Amino acid sequence: MAEIFVKNEKSYKAKKILSNVLTYSFLGVIALIVLVPFYWMILTSLKSTEMIEAIPPILFIKPSDWQIWNYKALFELVQSGPRAGQPLFPFFTYMKNTIIVSIITTAGTTITTILAAFAFARLNFKGRDTVFAIIIATMMIPGEIFILTNFLTINKFGWYDLMNQTFSDALLAMTIPFMTSVFYTFYLRQTFKQIPNELYYAAKVDGTTDFKYLLKIMIPVAMPTIVTIIILNSMGAWSAYIWPAMVTTKDQYRLVSNGLRGAFTDSGSGRTDYGQQMASAALVTAPLLVVFFVFRKQIMRGVSRSGIKG
Amino acid sequence: MLILMIVFTFYPLINAFVISFYKDYLPLANDGAGSITGYTFANYSVILKNQLFWQSLKNTFVLALVSVPVSILISLFISVALKSIPKLKGFFQTVFFLPYVTNGIAVGMAFAVMFHRDYGLFNLILGWFNISPIDWIGGTASWWAQMGALMIFTIWESLAFKILVFTSGLQNIDKQYYDAAKIDHATKWTIFKRITVPLLSPLILYISITSMIGALKAYNSVIGLFGEKLGGQPYSMITIVAFVYKYRSDFSFQGFYSYAASAAIILFFITLIFSLIQTTVSKKRIHY
Amino acid sequence: MEIKMLDLTKIFISKDKREVHAVDHVDLTIPSGKLIGLLGPSGCGKSTTLYLIAGLLRQNVGQIYFGEDEVSDMPPEKRGIGLVFQNYALYPHMTVRENILFPLENLKVDKVEAKERTIEMANLVGLGEMLDRKPKELSGGQQQRVAIARALVKKPRVLLLDEPLSNLDARLRLQTREEIKRIQRETGITTVFVTHDQEEAMSISDEIVVMKDGVIQQMGEPQHVYDHPQNLFVAQFLGTPQINVFNGVIKNKKIFVNDMLISKTDLPDQPVKIGVRPEGFIVDLEKKSDFKFEIDLVETIGRDTTLIIEVPGNEGGLLDKITFKAIVDASLKIKAGDWVHFNVKPEKMHLFDLEGKLLK
Repeated sequence: MAEIFVKNEKSYKAKKILSNVLTYSFLGVIALIVLVPFYWMILTSLKSTEMIEAIPPILFIKPSDWQIWNYKALFELVQSGPRAGQPLFPFFTYMKNTIIVSIITTAGTTITTILAAFAFARLNFKGRDTVFAIIIATMMIPGEIFILTNFLTINKFGWYDLMNQTFSDALLAMTIPFMTSVFYTFYLRQTFKQIPNELYYAAKVDGTTDFKYLLKIMIPVAMPTIVTIIILNSMGAWSAYIWPAMVTTKDQYRLVSNGLRGAFTDSGSGRTDYGQQMASAALVTAPLLVVFFVFRKQIMRGVSRSGIKG
Repeated sequence: MLILMIVFTFYPLINAFVISFYKDYLPLANDGAGSITGYTFANYSVILKNQLFWQSLKNTFVLALVSVPVSILISLFISVALKSIPKLKGFFQTVFFLPYVTNGIAVGMAFAVMFHRDYGLFNLILGWFNISPIDWIGGTASWWAQMGALMIFTIWESLAFKILVFTSGLQNIDKQYYDAAKIDHATKWTIFKRITVPLLSPLILYISITSMIGALKAYNSVIGLFGEKLGGQPYSMITIVAFVYKYRSDFSFQGFYSYAASAAIILFFITLIFSLIQTTVSKKRIHY
Repeated sequence: MEIKMLDLTKIFISKDKREVHAVDHVDLTIPSGKLIGLLGPSGCGKSTTLYLIAGLLRQNVGQIYFGEDEVSDMPPEKRGIGLVFQNYALYPHMTVRENILFPLENLKVDKVEAKERTIEMANLVGLGEMLDRKPKELSGGQQQRVAIARALVKKPRVLLLDEPLSNLDARLRLQTREEIKRIQRETGITTVFVTHDQEEAMSISDEIVVMKDGVIQQMGEPQHVYDHPQNLFVAQFLGTPQINVFNGVIKNKKIFVNDMLISKTDLPDQPVKIGVRPEGFIVDLEKKSDFKFEIDLVETIGRDTTLIIEVPGNEGGLLDKITFKAIVDASLKIKAGDWVHFNVKPEKMHLFDLEGKLLK
């Protein structure tokens, strides 16, 4: 009967160890590939121009040879030419702008998301599911389509004025269009839906208003999800590139991503100061990594649960 | 929320169509009211005759059609490998997730340095294998070298999200299927091919659609890697979205805004078609 | 194929870091060609034992032999076992045919032969017509049979079934257990199945193995184990309604419960636990017996009447508060409130010491 079975194999254990070694090396190599760009970023930011231009490239530098100068230069160097006296890379200005924009959008998004998710999860109004389906469908549409008109809308509202744009105009322009999020609404609605109906009915029987119910029951229960939304959303402002560049008229209103590209290339010689460029890149990346490591669990759980992209 | 959505989502969608049919559109003329001289289909034919538009189509398609399947495959392998190891799982997961939380432009710039012909890491490594240096992203870079660099960066960037989603998808597969397959004498490769992939297929479909849409919208990665020049040579790596933005920013020229709108609408339909194809193809293969 | 386990031990580390001996120094020989039921309450280690035989778990101590072959260190696929999972683990994306064919494909069996064997197996389990359906299009019982076919198609040395009937409704359960018995008899394969349902185990097994806390309590033919339980646990675990247990005492070769004389014995004086099967009571119509109770409730089903008697705790007495059941002939027409005198059939009465060990 048992003709097809091989006799006991002593090599079984060896095989298992081998496969473990292979798996770990595979993952190790991938981890290395993931980390190398970060390493290269920091490495280059610590190199002097001569070190950067060394051939073959220098793969490691001793702490004593670190060129902190690149970082210092970011804050000290000033521009020449038309905008003389202004910082070459106004890191703190960009940082401040980014943080303000991120706080405003996040606050706005969180509020609209909670209200909308509540409406779609709990309130019964005519055509609710149809409206929701349409909103979900918009997730599939490339955002670039909206941007064209949104730019005109912003302009109509008077927030984009080539000559006299104020900082608050720019802020409004950068934040208002992004104060809703279909992704997060969908995500939060799922969480809200998991809260049993009985709680709602019990609250109704006790004479609680919808709003009070939302405030006292749903929000506290869904807090982990909301925290995730807040974190992910505020990180989004860090990567925003095209829209802020489009609706701001002055350099000092822009966000970090805008500042990064374009700076450090000497317009005359076309040469790029890679050391300073990487130093600024590292400075922009660092806060994101700090936030990530502090909220690692919430972020990873949130992203994997909601399948949110970008 | 609804008002915001109507103003900034629904109205723009329809309006983009309308703009794409404007004739001689000047959006900011007349104190921001805009001026047109009628309606026309000509905007579409103008961009369809535009060399740059075809360049952007080609770049976008090649990038999307290669990077999406490759990154899905790689991330599947990584997720399966992650599942099988007894220790350090959390560590690897965290490392692999890093690209997701970083600023794409900052890292793109780091990649640009790594791709540098003389001082870059890539050519150094190629040198170890006696391959002479390639100009990846510089002024003399070939189209394939630039596309290769862009793909490597795009795949690197997109792995994080996929690995995370696949890893949590794998966790939801009942362990008994694997026990059963083991007892049924399946090899690791058979298990991957016949059990893991089919059971994960709804998730793979979802990911392939969303990342296809994402890849068709590639823009930030090009900016990160090549700067505003959009390529080693100007516009050599232009994508559809970059094309849209280029014409948008030239809004003071008569009609250019409508060209941007037309290109955006074409992108919209391309995305739609891709999603539909993927859904129908997969429906035939996902049965349960 | 005979399965022999020597000193088999499996230790799990619980959440509070304690060692739990799920299987504790088990020595067990499962005879070739028999259908064996591994029986016990949940957490007794029966499933762990099955998974150790399958090789999905690895023992901490001990050896397992299939016939002369030691399989202790073999991975599951090398052991030549067929395993049917509790929830069947049919691959949901494959048809019945593909599910059954899967192990043969992996073993690189010749395609023509594999096809034939698949059809043969499907016919054996009575699913020849359903080969192109997906698992979700089948009933629970049919899924179960596909799982058995998939386990058997590679001609394993041993067939293992994990709670094979627990996911089926009552009617299907009866049907399927006959089916399992039939398939086992037709193939003559050594089969071990795990269950917590004693009735299920008793009805189809050639022999049963009763386990508790990772330790084997007793093994033997079902009726023999029922009639001769080695300890109080086995006596209580087998049989519905459960065996009645009285606290009693032996004095001068007489057995008493609350000063009521029940029976005689040769055992020395000591306190005892007296187990009496519900069917072990005989109503003493002459009312001479000392062992008498007032009936609280009468349930008559068919020809049997179950008398339910609640005995209040007796201060200073030996009888704890218990409810006991006696099954008697319905023709006696006993009503609630009647006083009934009982005699006890000696072969239905088992005496245990206070630790639960059988007294002989």
